[in-house]
Amino acid sequence: MRQHNRLVAFVAAVVIVLANVAVLAQQTLDRTKVPPSGPTPVLHVPTWTKTQLANGATLILSERHTLPLVSFSITFVGGANQFEPADRRGVAAMTASMLTEGTKTRTGDQLSDALQLLGTTVNAGVGAEEGSVSFVSTTKNFDATLAILSDMMLNSVFPADALERLRGRTLVNLTQAKDQPVIVGAQVFAKVLYGDAHPYGQRTTETSVKAITRDDIVNFQKSYYQPGRAIITVVGDVSPGKVKGSIEKALTAWTKGGEKPSFDYPKLPELQPAKIYLIDKPGAAQSVVNIGLPGPPRNTPDYFALQVLNTILGGQFQSRLNANIREQKGYSYGVNSGFNYGKGPGAFRAGGSIFTDKTDAALIEFMKELKGIVGEKPITDEEIKTAKESLIQGLPQRFASVTAISGAITTLAFQGLPDDYYQTYADKVSAVTKDDLLRVAKRYIDLGHLAIVIVGDRAKVETALKATEIAPVTMLDIEGNPAAP
Amino acid sequence: MRSAKLSFLFGVALTCALAQVAVGQIKIPYETYKLPNGLTVILSVDKTTPTVAVNIWYHVGSKNEMPGRTGFAHLFEHVMFTGSGHVPYGLHDKLTEGVGGGNNGSTTNDRTNYYETIPSNYLESALWLESDRMGYLLDTLNLDKLKAQRDVVKNERRQSYDNQPYGRVSEIFSAAMYPKSHPYSWPVIGSMTDLSAASEEDVKAFFRLYYAPNNATLAVVGDFDPKQAKEWIQKYFNDLPKGQNVERPNVPAAKLTASKRLVFEDRVQVPRLYIQWPTVGTHDDHGLGMMSLILTGSRTARLTKALVYDSQLASQVFAFQNSAEDVGVFQIVVIPRPEHSLTEVEAAVDQVLQKFISEGPTSDELQRAKSGLELNFLRGLESNLGKANQLLSGAVFFGNPGQYSVDYQQILATTTAEVKQLATRYLLGPRIVLSVVPKGKKDQASKAAESETVTMLLPKSRGGRS
Repeated sequence: MRQHNRLVAFVAAVVIVLANVAVLAQQTLDRTKVPPSGPTPVLHVPTWTKTQLANGATLILSERHTLPLVSFSITFVGGANQFEPADRRGVAAMTASMLTEGTKTRTGDQLSDALQLLGTTVNAGVGAEEGSVSFVSTTKNFDATLAILSDMMLNSVFPADALERLRGRTLVNLTQAKDQPVIVGAQVFAKVLYGDAHPYGQRTTETSVKAITRDDIVNFQKSYYQPGRAIITVVGDVSPGKVKGSIEKALTAWTKGGEKPSFDYPKLPELQPAKIYLIDKPGAAQSVVNIGLPGPPRNTPDYFALQVLNTILGGQFQSRLNANIREQKGYSYGVNSGFNYGKGPGAFRAGGSIFTDKTDAALIEFMKELKGIVGEKPITDEEIKTAKESLIQGLPQRFASVTAISGAITTLAFQGLPDDYYQTYADKVSAVTKDDLLRVAKRYIDLGHLAIVIVGDRAKVETALKATEIAPVTMLDIEGNPAAP
Repeated sequence: MRSAKLSFLFGVALTCALAQVAVGQIKIPYETYKLPNGLTVILSVDKTTPTVAVNIWYHVGSKNEMPGRTGFAHLFEHVMFTGSGHVPYGLHDKLTEGVGGGNNGSTTNDRTNYYETIPSNYLESALWLESDRMGYLLDTLNLDKLKAQRDVVKNERRQSYDNQPYGRVSEIFSAAMYPKSHPYSWPVIGSMTDLSAASEEDVKAFFRLYYAPNNATLAVVGDFDPKQAKEWIQKYFNDLPKGQNVERPNVPAAKLTASKRLVFEDRVQVPRLYIQWPTVGTHDDHGLGMMSLILTGSRTARLTKALVYDSQLASQVFAFQNSAEDVGVFQIVVIPRPEHSLTEVEAAVDQVLQKFISEGPTSDELQRAKSGLELNFLRGLESNLGKANQLLSGAVFFGNPGQYSVDYQQILATTTAEVKQLATRYLLGPRIVLSVVPKGKKDQASKAAESETVTMLLPKSRGGRS
């Protein structure tokens, strides 16, 4: 300790001397002046071609020769929400995992060893509204990797013992998820907003996983992986003439079939008056807070206004929510908000992990900011300017890698957005007005019908939450079912 | 990390997977020089995307702290974003995320880094921001700012350790692996009690010593004109005074004299088994990285095949070499299937390891383990920030920004005999076996009767909740 203090004094003396030197040298430089930015770089949006294969799949090709890398993906329009029966939730993800378990000519071990030698992996997954099978490879290993992907997608044999192993692992994962307050919070939030009858409110459960049979898997593979709903995206160091031939050759056996699903979702449950749903997590150091309600789909005409709005409210570090609740109040390591756009009514959500003792105080601040953004604290010109700059100037980053470019282009095809989307992006963001922001805030952040889902230590937070009088408190269990009051 | 939303872990505890390689003719072009005040500069131009990464590594981490004053290095990472002499609070974010870029920082045992990713036309302001907090942070630092960031750090601790299942494992190992007062024995995030006790002067002294240009390395990577960048670097950094010479702590190698067997009760339903050995740090870790891939890097890897596929005792198994500048550890983690005990799992791990130690890897196994290097390296080249971290890691820990290329060649040259030798040297030595079990279920620990309960290792002053 004493030694440490002596060191402090010595260092302080040295710094005073040196600081004087610095003052002299500094005379020519006015550090208070913020250096001006240079001219805005010209936006180079990658170009691509879009054609159709004979089997009906869309093929998108974009050349990029800076590095010997290729990104290849097949995206399927529609996912678990469109293709899974409600009592077989999990069959889509499990089928995707089973694609690694062996084909007519290769065992699972052989597939794994062959891919490892090629330095890569084939990733297969199915999400809520889309699925994909993809890889990134070096240019020289592209054809060989594509051949393996094709074999996995078309010739998998789905061994019964592999299904049992995956089922066992999935059940362990589900058990572990129950201990994760962030996962529990997200699941219960979805259930409260959408209910059991809406795919957005459903999830994979122990019961549904146990019910899945090998026939379910085989049927899912047959009906799902169809070219009629596929977007093949190739980005990187390829020559368009050659690569189309490679793909047609590798996918010869993939014959016409399937179509894009409709995304007709059932009607939403009637909105409930605002309510706090508390899930007890005894001893939790933090309360996981999710506040929100169902929102608009991605194709809403209000998309650009909402993007600007959310950038101001909770999309960034200095957005209103984080600036207040983390930086000013110190209640959290970080809070945010966002619109979870999908083909259907994805949620608006604000939240974060809050120090248990400050759960009520933080909720008061969340509500203050939400009321603020819908009118009580008018959005300033400066906020609008910064939010727009941020969105517009962030565009080049979306084209920084072969996988980023692939995602940026595939999204357009998947969402049905125009090919000049990125060229016109800046204009659309710029066109958003203050009136637009207020209108969409009032429309989509419906304060009277917010669901407030909190996973935390009931003994420490319940009374304080009630005392805020923000909304009545209802107890739920970790499955989102009513708990003992 | 300052902010969780960008959870880049580049450069954190470099494993061999990050210390990658020049493939054939593809290299990372760079030039490097030093300013008179000791600041090392690395410039690397890549015009692919009109963006730039500015990244500064200060060669200070939690190991430079003193017992009783832990957590300073990481606290600084937070304080550095609260404004400085000529930069009002908030402007840093406005000139980075507010113009479509981003910023963050991270702290390890060995170093602290700060970065901005920005559109290339904002390079000058990013250099201005970094120079101001290097030179003038203390002008505006006061107790209120410190207290506010201490609260954020406490929340970071709650979020990343206390409210995470298995979240306390890393600090349990730090405390168990090293003797008390060893520079790697406390967690990077430090003790909340120490942070609360820190005076303004304590904190300022730490800054003056370690946040001087002679203890820093600046990398600029991306789309810029090097001549212009040099002028700006000269303009903003040249007049910052050189600090004292920083003495590198003399860190004794991690040595376990005897194996330990620990059990920790956590709010979890699924128990986990952790086995950890002391190994070596960044300077000699390539073969150990290969060993981790041969054990659990693929479906046919030794431990994965035996535990997850053949016997199905486990749901998942991971092995990795975690290398810091001076020390390293090799760790195996097993998530068991419900019907199987941790005792059973540990025996199965040992059976696989014994065979592996006695016969070493096959040349096929080693070849497969090396096969992913090239693609990983090429993909790393797509990120300005990732490249900056590779160059910086070499410069700071090896005095050579091009160290990635040396590492790559060394990894490719690894032989089966070397891996076998490493397995014998390290995996036969003393180790720590940690069972994390559900509350009240200490009997689920591997060899429960022989296991010491971990609360002994976590005195209240270290990591207690405030």
